[in-house]
Amino acid sequence: MTRKMKRAALALAAALLCGALSGCGAEEPAVTETFAMDTVMRFTAYGKNGQAAADAADREVRRLEALLDRTDGDSEVSRVNSGAGAPVTVSGETGRLIQSARTFSEDTGGAFDITIAPVMDAWGFTTDEKHVPDRGTLDSLLPLVDSGTIAVEDRGDTAQVTIGEGQSIDLGGIAKGYASERIEAIFREQGVASALAYLGGNVYAHGEKPDGAPWRVAVQDPQDTDSCTGVLSLRDAYAITSGGYQRYFEQDGQTYHHIIDPATGYPADSGLLSVTIVAPAVGPDGGDGLTGGTMADAFSTALFVMGEERAIDFWRRSGYEFDMVLVTADGRLLVTDGLEKKFERNEDAGYIYEIIR
Amino acid sequence: MRSSVKLHPTRWDAAVAAVILLLAAVTGGAYWSRTLSAGNRLQAVVSADGRELDRVDLTALSAPETRTYSGSGYSLTVEFSAEGVRVASSDCTNQDCVHTGEIHHAGRSIVCLPARISIQLTGGAEDAAVDAVIG
Repeated sequence: MTRKMKRAALALAAALLCGALSGCGAEEPAVTETFAMDTVMRFTAYGKNGQAAADAADREVRRLEALLDRTDGDSEVSRVNSGAGAPVTVSGETGRLIQSARTFSEDTGGAFDITIAPVMDAWGFTTDEKHVPDRGTLDSLLPLVDSGTIAVEDRGDTAQVTIGEGQSIDLGGIAKGYASERIEAIFREQGVASALAYLGGNVYAHGEKPDGAPWRVAVQDPQDTDSCTGVLSLRDAYAITSGGYQRYFEQDGQTYHHIIDPATGYPADSGLLSVTIVAPAVGPDGGDGLTGGTMADAFSTALFVMGEERAIDFWRRSGYEFDMVLVTADGRLLVTDGLEKKFERNEDAGYIYEIIR
Repeated sequence: MRSSVKLHPTRWDAAVAAVILLLAAVTGGAYWSRTLSAGNRLQAVVSADGRELDRVDLTALSAPETRTYSGSGYSLTVEFSAEGVRVASSDCTNQDCVHTGEIHHAGRSIVCLPARISIQLTGGAEDAAVDAVIG
């Protein structure tokens, strides 16, 4: 090789190296933000199919909202409610989700119950007119809160759902979790290896970040919403939080939050400020309706209602695969041992830290 | 040992070296400029119905600044400062956006559901950055 050729080769190599370096860390994700299911959602996806996946996720949550939103008179859930007392034919998908909710209600001893809808209405939580209902109204409505009366006959593509007369159902405590599970399936179908779906208090972390690091998801401090109790490092996992500190109203100097205890008809007062459930992704074979985001959503509400002791007992004995972060009103941060190496606590938040085994 | 005068650098070798150094400087400068301008600067991104309305570089603010945004028939007055952002007032029905208070760290957001407006903080110090906040 002549001297000139060597110089040219060196210059070319330098130019290629510089070009490659300038591209380092430059991969921009596709991001789609949308308002659906009464919250803001953000889908972030990397790779050549990132935009297609984010757009498909957006379409999917809108499709599910049209099926499951009981404030939409045309939804399947609205048809079930308006046909209370008689069998109503819905899609197999809606029927199976209602069946999952029924199972969660049974397994949590009623701490999660989709038949809470009439009580929610009495509080005005689905309207702009929130108020404390009188005791007599609640006493008359509480007998309607009973998922045991729900019957679901699965016929494959369709299902027949029957609820009791006077009952109505609200899938708000499970719909976003189910939606996040559908988004996991979309990310897989699109061949996306790195993505994050944020659905209000719900997150699904798909794969890992493009640099190989886990997704960092902060768990908000219920007593200082600009701070966090700690940060979860997640790969292929769901993390879903329920707490009474964001949606509430005040009346006569008292604060009333939106998570109603099905046993009392009043906002749950269990000594917990927030519950975060972490569950593994359902994987390429899909879930059975009792795992992943659907389960995590239902249990974040149920365990908030249960309180510390019952929640820990449930975690130990239920047989469901999940971990959790509990924030108690007396200043403790309880983390189950499966998260010991995945949860980086924020010491400045001032909570007493305990590992549950 | 055999030595060769042929290996002594010439003006052309110096020129090639200069080109390499120049390319390295330009590439490095562009990389760090991009990192500083987009990554490490705390920015507030205001969106309505998923469409970006405004992007405010909080790091560049020397004094608090107030701006008004409208969406779905509601109006929000938003106060930006070098430290963070808050919704100072809103004529929305539930006031959740006002209740959220001031946010200061990347990953945090304020959402007004009735107005379908979100304000998200991005960038900021690398060690404090998270990909999402749940709660």
